[in-house]
Amino acid sequence: MASAFLLDMTRCIGCEACVLACKAGNQLPVDTQYIELIEHTSGTFPDLTGGFQNHRCYHCADATCVAVCPTGALFKEDGLTRLDRDACSGCGYCVQSCPYEVPVMSDGRSSKCDGCAANVGAGGSPWCVTTCPAKALEFGVRDAILAKAKERVAAIKDRYPKAQIYGETQAGGLGLILVLPDDPETLDIPADPPDAPAVVDLWKHVVQPVSMGATVLAAAGAGVLGIIARRNHMAELREVEETEKAGVSSGDPDTEDV
Amino acid sequence: MTVSDTNGDQQILRYRTRQRVVHAVMASSFLILLVTGLALVWGPLAFLAAGGWSRYLHRIAAVAFMSVPFLYLILDRAGAKEVLVDSFKYDRDDVAWFRHMYRYVLGRTAEMPPQGRLNAGQKLHHSAVIVFSAVIVVTGLILWWLKSGLTPTQLAWTAMIHDLSMVALTLLLVGHVFFTYVYTAWSSMATGYVSKDDMEMEHSKWVEELEHDGAEGSSS
Repeated sequence: MASAFLLDMTRCIGCEACVLACKAGNQLPVDTQYIELIEHTSGTFPDLTGGFQNHRCYHCADATCVAVCPTGALFKEDGLTRLDRDACSGCGYCVQSCPYEVPVMSDGRSSKCDGCAANVGAGGSPWCVTTCPAKALEFGVRDAILAKAKERVAAIKDRYPKAQIYGETQAGGLGLILVLPDDPETLDIPADPPDAPAVVDLWKHVVQPVSMGATVLAAAGAGVLGIIARRNHMAELREVEETEKAGVSSGDPDTEDV
Repeated sequence: MTVSDTNGDQQILRYRTRQRVVHAVMASSFLILLVTGLALVWGPLAFLAAGGWSRYLHRIAAVAFMSVPFLYLILDRAGAKEVLVDSFKYDRDDVAWFRHMYRYVLGRTAEMPPQGRLNAGQKLHHSAVIVFSAVIVVTGLILWWLKSGLTPTQLAWTAMIHDLSMVALTLLLVGHVFFTYVYTAWSSMATGYVSKDDMEMEHSKWVEELEHDGAEGSSS
């Protein structure tokens, strides 16, 4: 069953406790973090509005990173986008292709939130959810999370008329459901992230299997044909030798009976 | 240069040592590129790419592969020029050779039109190798140095064209190995010598040329 995070940006106070809990819990290197708080200010003084983006993996159902990953190090599981760093070749295609610019290279390999696969697998919760003091984060079955998000939006409509859910449909449905006080663009989140390039589908599902098939067939065909053709060639060579011998023994160099 | 082997069969020097060195560099770098590249795109071999070491090997082999034309020019300028010029020069016999190519594929040379040092198929093979190598080098350099400047779509196209060029080169390799096996030509790249009988069947114009040059050389 698909899992999902709920991230209520009307409750998030930007304390960065989740950033630290994630870093510590997942024992991330000093220069690496899965969650980043990015401040946004808009308007001109004195009419300024501000906010921050709790930037982290959106766990897209149709994940571009998974589509472009050549080794299968990035994969979907329980509605979340997992990363097996041991299988990562460090090609960086995911870094290059993610519509949310989430994965980064760390120590030569891709690095991103994997939904605390180890913790959740052992019956626990993701570190960020456990730690959030404002109860802005929850984790659970996606349908229940989505229902809760809708409740929350309904409850805050008076205060935030533009309040909305983000992630129900984007990129095939996200594994991170956001409750936003305003349009996503105000937090620099694309309203409709681009799909994986169509050519990736063509590449992985047509070009690669067809190429592999053609190469294997060609090699097998060449193997069989090679045995036949070599036999023919050896027969020709023997004929030439015999003709040469016959020519030598009869003493007539012009003898040609081929 | 013609010598006799232990069986008394005449052998002709077809590839000088330096040409064989160039071939060895190209062949070994190509095979490393094939395996390390395949590891990136083919699931069953992906474990080889894990950790990223294969990407470094891929780059080292890529440098060796790209150095091949320069290496050829440095080691054997005349040979390189000869192969290049010869590869793009077709005569009537070459056209006729293509018409009867199926016979050659089946190992029958008896009624094939006479051929020079390179037969028409080898010429076409060389041109194809040059074209696809150029494409793979250009896309490879883009993926190596300019990747971060590409949009996801541009990246996917570049990688796909890179892959397809390798598919083409691999199919050309299958053909190359096929003809090497059928026409017992392994020795040409091991020792440099090939059987004169074989050459008279497959490259009779070249043998004539050699004998003509040899006769001229000895008379002058």
